[in-house]
Amino acid sequence: MLKVLIIDDDDIVRLVQGKLLQNSNFTKEPIKFKRASEAVEYLNSASNEHHYLLMLDINMPIMNGWEFLDEIEKMTIKENVYVLMVSSSIDYNDKEKAKKYNKIINFIEKPITSKNCEQLKELPILKPFFPQPN
Amino acid sequence: MTYTTGVLDILVIEDHIGDYILIEEYLGEEHLDIKLTRAATFQEAKDKLVNTHNYKVVLLDLSLPDVENNETLVKNMVSLSTNIPIIVLTGFANKEFGVKTLSLGISDYLLKDELNAPQLAKSIFYSIERKNIDLKLSESERKYKALFDFSPYPMWVLDKHTLEFLKVNDAAIKLYGYSTNEFLSMTVRDLWVSEIKEEIQSIWQENYHEKFNTSVKHLKKDGSIIHVEILSNPIDFDGRAARITQIKDITGQKDAEQALKHSEKRFKALVQDASDLIMIMDFAGNLTYVSPSSKQMTGVSDIEMIKNNFFYYIHEEDLKSVKENMLKLHEKKRIKIPIYRIKTANNKWRYIETIITNLSEDPIVNGLVANSRDITEFIKQENKLIDSLKRYDIVAKATSDTITDYDVVNDKMYYNEGLESIFGYSKNDIENTGAWWNEKLHPEDRERVRSYSEDVKNAKSGNIQIEYRFRCADGSYKYVLDRSYLIKDEKTNTVRIIGAMQDITEIQNYIQTIEDHNSRLKDIAWTQSHVVRAPLARIMGLVDLIQSYPNIDEQSQLLKHINTSARELDDIIRNITRKTEDATLKPR
Repeated sequence: MLKVLIIDDDDIVRLVQGKLLQNSNFTKEPIKFKRASEAVEYLNSASNEHHYLLMLDINMPIMNGWEFLDEIEKMTIKENVYVLMVSSSIDYNDKEKAKKYNKIINFIEKPITSKNCEQLKELPILKPFFPQPN
Repeated sequence: MTYTTGVLDILVIEDHIGDYILIEEYLGEEHLDIKLTRAATFQEAKDKLVNTHNYKVVLLDLSLPDVENNETLVKNMVSLSTNIPIIVLTGFANKEFGVKTLSLGISDYLLKDELNAPQLAKSIFYSIERKNIDLKLSESERKYKALFDFSPYPMWVLDKHTLEFLKVNDAAIKLYGYSTNEFLSMTVRDLWVSEIKEEIQSIWQENYHEKFNTSVKHLKKDGSIIHVEILSNPIDFDGRAARITQIKDITGQKDAEQALKHSEKRFKALVQDASDLIMIMDFAGNLTYVSPSSKQMTGVSDIEMIKNNFFYYIHEEDLKSVKENMLKLHEKKRIKIPIYRIKTANNKWRYIETIITNLSEDPIVNGLVANSRDITEFIKQENKLIDSLKRYDIVAKATSDTITDYDVVNDKMYYNEGLESIFGYSKNDIENTGAWWNEKLHPEDRERVRSYSEDVKNAKSGNIQIEYRFRCADGSYKYVLDRSYLIKDEKTNTVRIIGAMQDITEIQNYIQTIEDHNSRLKDIAWTQSHVVRAPLARIMGLVDLIQSYPNIDEQSQLLKHINTSARELDDIIRNITRKTEDATLKPR
């Protein structure tokens, strides 16, 4: 089962993204974290029976998106983790940096829209989790 | 009829005494002062004639006892009494022979039977006079013959019609090399060289009966050609129509003339074809000669130029110095007028320099010879150089540049006051070596400057433009823009480097400030774009959500979030504007 984690310090962003994921039938229960550290805790104790899609904000206080990614590398379930980098503004440096992390499956400049959700479902790596309604 | 001039000596050769007395009587009637001498035989007459020379006349009776043949007697008498007239006295029977004696040199003959005093006196008088005239004539002929024979000028006599040589003198023989006999078998045509044959023939024809003179070329016997002047006169030569011609050999003169002509031609060419302007004038500037090169130098032809005074062409400002220089010619043979301007045909000025030689004493030149050279181009170049040096000096003073002059060969470096005013080094601090300068370079720049300089030295272009830091006397560094020019010798070795060190520290600092501000602004822009995009992205996300799912619950809450985010965005934008204003560059 694919669990979707929203990691963003912005309350409204979490709210909007959560509602979008539910309404677009991306996931029934998005798991939201205001702090990256909370997400680290969650994942450390998470079951490797599941797969985890992380919608990760780059700019966050205390632990930013990059630092969080370094943490994931240390996790036992890192194979089951996919990261979608989300930022209000993506510059050239970020994209260069992202090449070093094979976890990152895509970059999305905020906001994530319903259209984005449909496109994500079509990504080869995610497609298996979204069976086509016949 | 009487003689007034002295005693009349008469020799009477008469063997018959009677006849002698008779003659004495006749003569006595006519002459007061006569002296008769009697010879009775030829031998007696001969003795008297040999010893005495005072006889004015000889009276000869043909019938003498010691001479049988009258003709022999007459001949002997004539030869004995040269210059003395002989009158023959003869009998009637010998009349015929008497006439014949005239052709033998006898002055007169008288018949004894018809003899009387007046007749005898008359005959004596005429005979003496005729003999005198004959003597004078033969003397004159002798003189003229000598003039011809011994004249230093070659002369000859030609037949008027055939031009055969009739007589030639020694000088002609000597000049032409032909002997007298050879000459006499030739005509003058044999002397004419073929090229002038027609010409001399026509001159001769035109002056057939006249005298003429001309110059011709003659062939000598040895085949060489001589130039001669001839003067030819028609004469009567022993009854024959002839020409006497006098020859003057002018070959040497011709050769000298030719040599002179060549030399003249050469000098003329030197003067006329030279680019220098040659003029001959007097002290007052009156021109007597101007070489054709005036046209080339000034555009005024020599013919035009000579019409005016030399001073007319000289620039007003230069006139005084030119005249002063010329006055020195009174003491010096040759002077030089350095630089002055002369007017050209189109009223422009050319710079010339002139060397004047005083040849007033030379009768052929009789003036001051001025040799002028156009130095306008030279002056122009010189002026350009002076201007550029002046400009450089002014520029060097006007700018804050430090001027460097490096003598590569001797490793000597010189600076202007910029090194003191800009970098703070006093005269005592400065060592005039390349090493001293090198040491002042910032260590980080030293290698770069060295290798760049090497490159330039090896390259064809002789310009250096490089920035580096240069240490001041107080230890701080100034940024310098160095523009240097490499001066090379004929082997393209750099021998001198002239440079200008421009202090660009202030510029460099300014640039640094600008760059600092830039990066700060960049920072602000980047940060703010994130900050700005955060609320904007929220609004967009909210709008997308409501639009995509119109039946979504808690719509009023979502709208409230839109409102909040919009306000936040508004605040942020105002904030950015304020911050940007703060960061704006402040003028220095």
